[in-house]
Amino acid sequence: MIEVKSLTKVFRKPIRGRGVLGMLKTLFSRKYKEIRAVDDVSFDIGEGEIVGYIGSNGAGKSTTIKMMCGILTPTSGKVLVNGREPYVKRKVVAKEIGVVFGQKTQLWWDIPLIESFKVLKEIYQVSEEDYKSRMEFLSSVLGIDEFLTQPVRTLSLGQRMRADLAASMLHNPKILFLDEPTIGMDVLVKEKIRQAIHALNAKYHTTVVLTTHDMVDIENLCSRIIMIEKGKIIYDGPLGDIKHRFGNIKTLTLTIPANINPQEVKPYSEEVDLITEKDKVMLRFDADKVKLEDVVQYAFSNYQAIDMKISDISIEDVVKKILAQQEEEKHAKEI
Amino acid sequence: MHYVKLYFTCIKRSIISRLEYKKDTIISILSFLFSNACSLCSIYFILQAIPSLKGYSIAEVGFFYGFSMLPIALDHLFSDEFWLVAYRRVQLGDMDMHFLRPVPVIFQMFAETFQPDGFGEVIVGVTMMIVCGINLEATITFGAVFVLIIGAIFGAVIITSFKIIFSSLAFIFKRSGPLLQIIYNFTSYAKYPISIYPKFIRIILIFVLPFGLFVSLPINTLLYGSYNPYLLSLWIAGVAIIFFALSVFIWTRCEKRYESTGS
Repeated sequence: MIEVKSLTKVFRKPIRGRGVLGMLKTLFSRKYKEIRAVDDVSFDIGEGEIVGYIGSNGAGKSTTIKMMCGILTPTSGKVLVNGREPYVKRKVVAKEIGVVFGQKTQLWWDIPLIESFKVLKEIYQVSEEDYKSRMEFLSSVLGIDEFLTQPVRTLSLGQRMRADLAASMLHNPKILFLDEPTIGMDVLVKEKIRQAIHALNAKYHTTVVLTTHDMVDIENLCSRIIMIEKGKIIYDGPLGDIKHRFGNIKTLTLTIPANINPQEVKPYSEEVDLITEKDKVMLRFDADKVKLEDVVQYAFSNYQAIDMKISDISIEDVVKKILAQQEEEKHAKEI
Repeated sequence: MHYVKLYFTCIKRSIISRLEYKKDTIISILSFLFSNACSLCSIYFILQAIPSLKGYSIAEVGFFYGFSMLPIALDHLFSDEFWLVAYRRVQLGDMDMHFLRPVPVIFQMFAETFQPDGFGEVIVGVTMMIVCGINLEATITFGAVFVLIIGAIFGAVIITSFKIIFSSLAFIFKRSGPLLQIIYNFTSYAKYPISIYPKFIRIILIFVLPFGLFVSLPINTLLYGSYNPYLLSLWIAGVAIIFFALSVFIWTRCEKRYESTGS
């Protein structure tokens, strides 16, 4: 469905001085800095897969997505979507893909949602029956009929995202690219959007590529993840593997009273990492090996905690861990 | 055919957008009427004050001015979106949505806004042509009328082509609005008879920035029969088509350089 072969995108930025004088100097300088936003990336995605394309901010996720949907032209390497290069055969490929950017809407700002849909129907040449049946299905999964006659500018973030998702599915694309589809939404709306993505994938067998920062999105939606850092792929494989590699890591953060020196707290066992800060104690452990309730109980009886928070591992942590592991492997080889 | 239907759907969308805000709509209709009334009045007063202009009678000057408004108005009607491309949209990375649709980006720019203000300019221009045309001494032939129509339509095509060329530079420079403004200002040279300019500028206005081509020459044909109307029509249409093709070529080259923005 999608083939990406040693894809590279280099942005050339002039090296700028600071302040007004520095900016003036750059006008006459020919020095450029090369930023390799995406660096020799290759992967294949099959039909009907839901793939999480993840990485920290500025890792190159959006740039890759933009090349896959034909907005950007790669510096070298290529993307094949259904056998065609999207930036060369942009118009043909555009019919086969749907794209949602969490940060930018693709609907017209001033007009009622339904009018936007009518224009899109015309743009993608969707037949009347298809339009009706798809609208019915999309309304049922996304609940858009409650705000169909409102102008897009009056929609809330969650409503707008559902509207954007419906708009991107109107022509029944084979592939759906979702760039941060749940950004800035509350838990309930996030859940609704996830269910909708599942429903679309099940009904139309749509291939979905999504970028996200939310570990829950990944766990609920993706069977496979591709992880990118500084433009390079650092992991590509099933979600299960990565969980297996890093376990079901949870962090228990406790706020302790000021009169207790964090250095004096006793560790629970060897399997729980203890990290201490000024007035905080963090216990990091693998919830598959150590029981969460045991750790919580122990913590409360020993540390006189005034507040606590349990958090799952973040994408940034996973990236760090993978990089550290790869570094270790490299060292091991050198020795 | 698909594109014709799509164009009208999009234009309808653009008009709905303009009518979305009630007070804004009322204000813009009022200001539209007011500004056009003003421009008619001011032209009337100017024409009253000047008896003749370098051999042109008052009726001729008025007719000339009225006609010169037509190509500019037609361009205004259909291609207003390119100003936004040059000034803002590329710089803000606001073009992404157009790159995702299975329709040429340049077509979407034409379909994105329909600027009804252009209608006012057409009405003012035609009114002046009629009022002054009655007092013209020249005999009006079919050929002369034909070349005037060709001049207005293909003149608009020439102006639009320059707008496309200089707004597509925004894909490279991120913002080309000021440059486009400079080039566009040259259209004001079209408002005066080409004979008033020195030879050097005349050559530029006919061969390089052909804004002297589509107003002055058709009118001279009407008033004095200076040129064969059909050959002149062919020439104007030919130049317009060449520039338009060139502009589309440059645009499609430049749009590949679109960089969007980080998100």
